[in-house]
Amino acid sequence: MKYRVTHTTRYLYRDTVNQCHSVAHLLPRDTPYQQCSRAEVLLNPLPVLAADRRDYFGNRSYHFSVQEPHEVLEITAVSEVDVSEGRSSLALDFGPTCAEVLAQLEDASVESNLLVREFQLDSPLVACGPELAEYAADSFASDRPFLSGVRDLTHRIFTDFAYDPHYTDVATPLTEVIQHRRGVCQDFAHFAIGCLRTLGFPARYVSGYLETLPPPGETKLQGADASHAWFSVYSPAEGWCDFDPTNNLLAADQHITTAWGRDYADVTPLKGTIQGGGDSHGLEVEVDVTRLEGMPA
Amino acid sequence: MGSQDQNQSLQTPPGRPVPPAAAGFAYTEAHSPGGEVRPHWEYLLGSLGEFNPDERGERQRMVERILRDDGVTYNDYTTGGSGRDWRLDPVPLLLDSREWQNIESGVRERAELLNLVLQDLYGPRSLVRLGIIPPELVFGHPGFLRVCDGISLPGDQPLIQYAVDMLRGPDGRAKVISDRTQVPSGAGYALQNRIVMSRVFPSLFRDSHVHRLSLYFNSLRARLNALGPNGGLPRVVMLTPGIYNETYYEHLFLANHLGYSLVQGNDLTVRDGYVWLKTLNGLRRIDVILRRVDDNYCDPVELKPDSQLGVAGLLEVVRAGRVVVANPLGSGVLENTALLKYLPAAARHLLGREPALEAVPTRWCGDREDLAAVLANLEQMVIKPVWRAIDSRTVHAGSLSKAERETLRAAIQARPGDYCAQEYIAPSLAPVWGQNEAARPAILRTFAVAGESSYIVMPGGLTRVAPADGGFEISNRAGSPSKDTWVLASEPELPEVLVATDSERGAGAELPSRVVENLFWMGRYMERAEYALRLLRIVFGKLTGASPPGAESRQLLLRAVTQLTCTYPGFMDEAVSGGDPLQELRSVVLDGDRPGTVAHSVTSLLNTVDQVKDFMSGDTQRILNDLSDHMQVLPERLGSEFGLVREEELDALVTSLLALAGLVQESMIRGQGWHFLQAGRRIERALQTLSLMRSLWVQNTSGEDQDLLLETVLLCMDSLITHRRRYQRYLDVANGLEHLLLDTENPRSVMFQFDDLKLHLDRIPGFDEGSRLSLPQRLLLEAGTNLQLADLPELAAIDRKYLRSALDQLLSRSHRLVGAIATAISDSCFDHTGGPRPLGTGWSGEEPR
Repeated sequence: MKYRVTHTTRYLYRDTVNQCHSVAHLLPRDTPYQQCSRAEVLLNPLPVLAADRRDYFGNRSYHFSVQEPHEVLEITAVSEVDVSEGRSSLALDFGPTCAEVLAQLEDASVESNLLVREFQLDSPLVACGPELAEYAADSFASDRPFLSGVRDLTHRIFTDFAYDPHYTDVATPLTEVIQHRRGVCQDFAHFAIGCLRTLGFPARYVSGYLETLPPPGETKLQGADASHAWFSVYSPAEGWCDFDPTNNLLAADQHITTAWGRDYADVTPLKGTIQGGGDSHGLEVEVDVTRLEGMPA
Repeated sequence: MGSQDQNQSLQTPPGRPVPPAAAGFAYTEAHSPGGEVRPHWEYLLGSLGEFNPDERGERQRMVERILRDDGVTYNDYTTGGSGRDWRLDPVPLLLDSREWQNIESGVRERAELLNLVLQDLYGPRSLVRLGIIPPELVFGHPGFLRVCDGISLPGDQPLIQYAVDMLRGPDGRAKVISDRTQVPSGAGYALQNRIVMSRVFPSLFRDSHVHRLSLYFNSLRARLNALGPNGGLPRVVMLTPGIYNETYYEHLFLANHLGYSLVQGNDLTVRDGYVWLKTLNGLRRIDVILRRVDDNYCDPVELKPDSQLGVAGLLEVVRAGRVVVANPLGSGVLENTALLKYLPAAARHLLGREPALEAVPTRWCGDREDLAAVLANLEQMVIKPVWRAIDSRTVHAGSLSKAERETLRAAIQARPGDYCAQEYIAPSLAPVWGQNEAARPAILRTFAVAGESSYIVMPGGLTRVAPADGGFEISNRAGSPSKDTWVLASEPELPEVLVATDSERGAGAELPSRVVENLFWMGRYMERAEYALRLLRIVFGKLTGASPPGAESRQLLLRAVTQLTCTYPGFMDEAVSGGDPLQELRSVVLDGDRPGTVAHSVTSLLNTVDQVKDFMSGDTQRILNDLSDHMQVLPERLGSEFGLVREEELDALVTSLLALAGLVQESMIRGQGWHFLQAGRRIERALQTLSLMRSLWVQNTSGEDQDLLLETVLLCMDSLITHRRRYQRYLDVANGLEHLLLDTENPRSVMFQFDDLKLHLDRIPGFDEGSRLSLPQRLLLEAGTNLQLADLPELAAIDRKYLRSALDQLLSRSHRLVGAIATAISDSCFDHTGGPRPLGTGWSGEEPR
């Protein structure tokens, strides 16, 4: 499936901002199941310097500096991405069991096992804890096929947690999400990652977009989409596999990957500093995910 | 100031308990096991033995005096951030040249090894991929900065500075305790110790043929100069977290010694892809940054977002190769204590050999076997965190109570990967200054700097010994005394002097805007403190004197105190001025938390001088010491019963302030900084004088009261004697005004301040251009003209309300204008950009859904 993603962020400042240094994780990376054919960031005002780099995880990180005094900063990321069916046909019920996966991961003579340790450890926003272990245990009986367990965990999170965009924000700690069982995609992804890591399984955070379809008979509203997040797990025999607990799905060709990392902190869409700007600012975000099906490539 | 979060390297060298049993096995530096003096110690111990107790005391005091006069401190933020005098034990640690050669080559090799490890960890990570270093020690270590991955650093030795803590075990061999790779500190203290020792024991030092330390510092400078990425002689600055940092003294000392500007994060800015220093003359490009700010605090854009100590956008400039930061960002990953265990294997892989310098046997609890061994023998273990956080401490499990030990055991079991353990090895015992040169456990930190092809090791270093009470920890934080370290040469060395060439000095000598601002405020605080003291002294004197003033004058005097110091409401409150004024007066002198008080002005003065110390004469420190000493004893000395107040106790402070003013006048280079300092003084003095006259001369009084108030102002402005001599008759307001307002010869008069201020403003860059005057100059012209046009008899005249209204108007207008001049200077010369702020504070719309 081919998509065009337009993601516009507008900062509205109370006073003039004289300088802004920033890093954006807004342009989709290539993955085994996804090719990004066009990717650009449009800035208004124009930056004095900008560089499209690859970060530590292989994501595209766009570094820019704006020196022109401004009251409004508009960042528009436009990309065209081809996403394949990916792994949606994966046979979840026949792979290695949880015990086998853990045993395979122990083998330190395998380089990839050493490298995925990075995703078994605590990260800035996800710390292992007994509540996580307790919740996760039910899904990962040692003789159960591992991916079947992950699907079960995904399903349980979908069922047990309420989707509530007003309850949390980016600063809400995971412990609070656990306690109140509500949050948004980012919280569910972090929670799942914590569950998996607590049991010793490598898991990472994936940020991106999900194509949403309007109700039958209605046209899709512009700017109505949003950025999305889910998680990915690793097993030595099966590689990385993406699950979406917000929608109780195995990520497939409606999931467009932007970047991955240990958690949200590694792939924050926009971060940086400004000089000036007054004591508060407004923010507008518009995301459009448009299908380019049938259009000439 | 965020430096409280800073994690400076000098603070936690490992604590080393001294179990009495183990100490018996310790190597003794000066004596053989049989009790004979080792040959290389003979001369030193012999010479020291000839000192009688008096001479010993004298030398000890000399050491302390020099350190104090030079302002050598180590700040301990755990006790509220006050500077603690640096402690130097006068007996050096001696190393003969043969054993030093072993240490030197071992340290050099270790620096090379860590340099290769650093490049590997931020490059191919073969050490991880091949299983040589456990992945957790890299991926799980907060010092591993992913944003620094793959940055190509100039030269073969991106690890520019390196420091290592060592002890000598019972077997006589040096062993590494820990490595310092991020912002290694202590080299400056080592040099400071050397300077003191060579002054206190000149002949002993000369005859001992001690290797000089200048090699290290020359090499550091040569290295930094060679790293300039932008062509030409690089402009190098030293980046400090600021005056609250533990080792701020060392930053000042080294910046001065090396000839670099000492800057703080907000002095620098990133524009057009380069790093710039904000100076009075505009932006100056910076090529190399010698930093003392920890990795995580260096760039709020990509590292710790709330850091106020770094430079926003720095990392991207480093990535583009347009500035070099020494040490490179991310080098803190090498300070993981658990690496000690894996470095021999890394050496076999990277160098093809075992490292010559051994380390204290170290276990990592993240390893299952190690964990079992550590838990089984916990009492014998020294436990250290793998990451030095602010509250992380090294503990000797054997010295803990049973309950504490079980808590530690539980903590280790919960997060084993966060802990290392070392078996306790008794450090060697080095003689300390005392009747019999009793010996105490000692550790040595030495330093290496990258050279052309390898590392150059400082021949010597910083030795620290356990505190006298036999405490467990040897660290600056624990108050361990330091020692000079003498590596003895077989031949006398030729003296070598570190001289900065003119071009280097020139390239580094720009004044950051912050420094200029601090100098301006230094001038203002000096005057503010002095005026407050002068007035308080008089008020105490008059109020407790033989003929106390009448109620009206008394109230005017007390209110003048409030008005001059701006400590409202103070005596403006009837209840306060009517009753016993002592409590409020004491507060105006002593309450450091109340802006305008003497204590507040003096503290602010000391703080601003700390910021600009590298521009002040070397004698400044003695005066500052006097000021803070006087301030400290003042609460007690001042007395707490009104009739018994000793106002002369304030004299010492006035004298110190005058000494500081004299020093500024006589010893400070007439550069831009001096003009700002003087402008600050003139402005403050004009404001204070105007304020005082307004308080005491506007309201009409008569007879003795009038004399008293006239006299008070004149006394306060140090003009009473000249006034009497000049006018030779009864005091009156018209004469007083002429003398204190208009007289261009009287250095206390307002007109004098205006004339002098004009000279300084004319020298400030940007103010002197073209025919059009700058705003401060125009305001000053207006203020001066107002005074000149004033009609003295009219000013002195009293209206129907018993007020001198014309005078009141003139004084208040002048006061406003002078205040406006100060604001205009600040607006046009000082940096008002503030620190960078996070882009997305308080956002929520950007959250993924």
